[in-house]
Amino acid sequence: MSQLHQMSGKSDATKREWSRFKYPQSLYKYGITLGVVLFIIYSLHYLNVDLSRLFGIFGRLGDLLANRYYPPDIEYIKDADYIGSIIETIQMAYLGALFGILISIFLGWFAAYNVSPSRRYLYPVARVVTMLFRSVHEMIWAILFVTILGFGMLPGVLALTMFSVGFAGKLFAEEIEAIHMGEVEAIRAMGGNHLQVFVYGVVPQVRVALTGIAIYTWDVAFRAATVVGFVGAGGMGWYLKRNVMQIETHRTAAILLSILILVIISEFISAWARNYVSKAK
Amino acid sequence: MAILEVRDLKASYSSSGPEILKGISFEVENDDFFAIIGPSGAGKSTLIRCINRLLEPSSGSIKLNGVDVLKLNNKELRHLRRHIGMIFQEFNLINRMSVMDNVLSGRLGYVGTLRSVLRIFSDKDIQNALMLLERVGLQDHVDKRADELSGGQRQRVGIARALMQEPTLLLLDEPTSALDPKISREVMELIKDIATELKVPVLCNIHDVQLAKETCNKIIGLQDGYKMFDGPTETLAQANLEEIYSMEVL
Amino acid sequence: MTVEAIDSKAAPLKLEDIVRNRTRKHRWHLAFYILALVLIGWSIKATIIDDTDWERIGTFSEILKSVSQFIGIDFGLIPDLLGPTIETFMIACIGTLLGLVICIPAIWFGALNVTPFKPVTYPLARIAMTLSRSIHEIVWALIFVSAVGLGAFAGILAIAARSLGFIAKMSAEAVENIDRKPVEAIRAMGGNNFQVMLYAILPQVMPVILGIVIFEWEINIRRSAVLGLVGAGGLGLVFFRQMHTFNYPGVTTVILAIFCLVLVGEITSHYSRKALI
Repeated sequence: MSQLHQMSGKSDATKREWSRFKYPQSLYKYGITLGVVLFIIYSLHYLNVDLSRLFGIFGRLGDLLANRYYPPDIEYIKDADYIGSIIETIQMAYLGALFGILISIFLGWFAAYNVSPSRRYLYPVARVVTMLFRSVHEMIWAILFVTILGFGMLPGVLALTMFSVGFAGKLFAEEIEAIHMGEVEAIRAMGGNHLQVFVYGVVPQVRVALTGIAIYTWDVAFRAATVVGFVGAGGMGWYLKRNVMQIETHRTAAILLSILILVIISEFISAWARNYVSKAK
Repeated sequence: MAILEVRDLKASYSSSGPEILKGISFEVENDDFFAIIGPSGAGKSTLIRCINRLLEPSSGSIKLNGVDVLKLNNKELRHLRRHIGMIFQEFNLINRMSVMDNVLSGRLGYVGTLRSVLRIFSDKDIQNALMLLERVGLQDHVDKRADELSGGQRQRVGIARALMQEPTLLLLDEPTSALDPKISREVMELIKDIATELKVPVLCNIHDVQLAKETCNKIIGLQDGYKMFDGPTETLAQANLEEIYSMEVL
Repeated sequence: MTVEAIDSKAAPLKLEDIVRNRTRKHRWHLAFYILALVLIGWSIKATIIDDTDWERIGTFSEILKSVSQFIGIDFGLIPDLLGPTIETFMIACIGTLLGLVICIPAIWFGALNVTPFKPVTYPLARIAMTLSRSIHEIVWALIFVSAVGLGAFAGILAIAARSLGFIAKMSAEAVENIDRKPVEAIRAMGGNNFQVMLYAILPQVMPVILGIVIFEWEINIRRSAVLGLVGAGGLGLVFFRQMHTFNYPGVTTVILAIFCLVLVGEITSHYSRKALI
């Protein structure tokens, strides 16, 4: 017999009612769950995805990597031309991120509701521009610029600039919107104009955060830079595309390996730099 | 007959660190409400946690109903733990779950893994949970989320959860130190009443000596890892207290 | 205390010391700025001045002319866009969900406090996370297209593979930062490791993980819109087709469709993340 039956007082034999299902809250919950499940099933059907292939995929992928991609052709990536393309990639990322950040500072300022010089006009325009730059993928930017300007690194730099603006602009604006308004009010009270408010009231507060975001932007831009060459916008992406198209799997594996190593290095550098900046304040 | 027998218990936080408990022995009888008092840092919390091996003691023996706790393997330990209810200083509830689910989670040691995934509990468990919630006075808060309750109410959920385990021993780790004095008394009285009804022995560490004297029938005093006093509450004299808390005065 | 006494205590640094320290710090910064400037100059020269075929670009008015080709909307294309837009949206959703599913072991292995066998499982999960994040979605899509063939399935897998790293990394951090007290409580009542995860850890991290997933989903909409470039279905394919047929207003139309889709995603994400808290 249960020990709890020794409990005195109100612990009589009356049966208490409780159910996990509550009307209507649980109904909503189950309804939403059901809707999500139906959406998934319908999507899989619509996209013609054969789920049974999913279970075999890991084995197949392992097979593919082991037989066709392994071993990577290390000699290929030691080639001077390829190393040159790596340097190109780094330069593109560096410039693209730099230009992007410079534009973002102004765009972020205009798109921050609390200090925007003109809430009526500049604020919505800056918002929409940031949104547009964000929503268009860096590959699409690269294609557009290649169409207009031809092959080369310039379209790559411009595509990365657009990408960096989209990436950093929103983060900058969010950071600026979170500042203390006291300083801003003080400068305004002294009769400062918008630029003075920005330089003296806003920048000192967000400098560290913006530097952190800027470094992060470089890191992300570098990842994007590795593939914009795919559509002819310079850098190592071109090599990647050529080898993929020619089914040179061992070379492709070597290129992927080099990308991986570079990204890891850049991640370390950016983590170190962000750490350094946040300590330096 | 002693239900819990602790012999020469030693413990430290790390193998090289200082010893927190330096050879503690005591016995808890069947209908004891046993208090451990002492200044902070004396090892009260460590001692309580050694009983159900949330902390591993370095040597000594703990016998619960004749079973040597320190010799159990993982699975046996889990089986033992489900018979030891524990009530915590900061309630340790699962904040984002409802009161009812918190109380039902007391049965986790008994239900299988699959049933705990689906949160299917037997009708008997649900009836017991509702009865316990009524007993601790939370019948109107069954479906609220645990973090919507006040401190005192949360500790009542903690009590109901511990009782769901149908424990043969209750461990209380400073159950009232996160509560204000008035609610502390109510909670301690509630625990005492229930423990008496269910005839569960209680081992309780508590820093409030006055409260310990009011509720407990036996007291041990710890100081710096040593046992300084062991005996019925009536025999605890001012001199003993001064000895136990001497470090604190300094 | 006299004024002199304060003075002798408060000013152990001589003026010239301060100046020297400042200049030293200054020199450091100056060197850094010069280095950055040189780097910029060199990059600009190498990428923009030397590498660009200025004759191909031509005069400014010619650039304007080629830009103006893009102005306009191809209304005839709009009905054909509906299908691919839905497809892109679905690839993003299913891809993110699949990413979440394959994330679960990665989170489990990659959070220091719950990883089952630290010397092996922890580095394994960390490597998987880095791998996932450092390879661009286009490259992932290529790999999967070569594994499962053209179509939406490759896109879903690419999105899932790309999402894994970010979701798993942030979630593992959330798991590492949980409140330990409920864990202790479940252990004390005899719960096994699995029950500890289910009852003490999961309820705490679930809202955080969902927030991360929604954030990633929003990004994935953008990503899935380009996967068509390498044959993985969706709007990217339409975009590519317009490009190839030199239907530039059509290109603009596709971009606007992407923009609308991303906007929907951003709004949904904004409100659903608010609702989570």
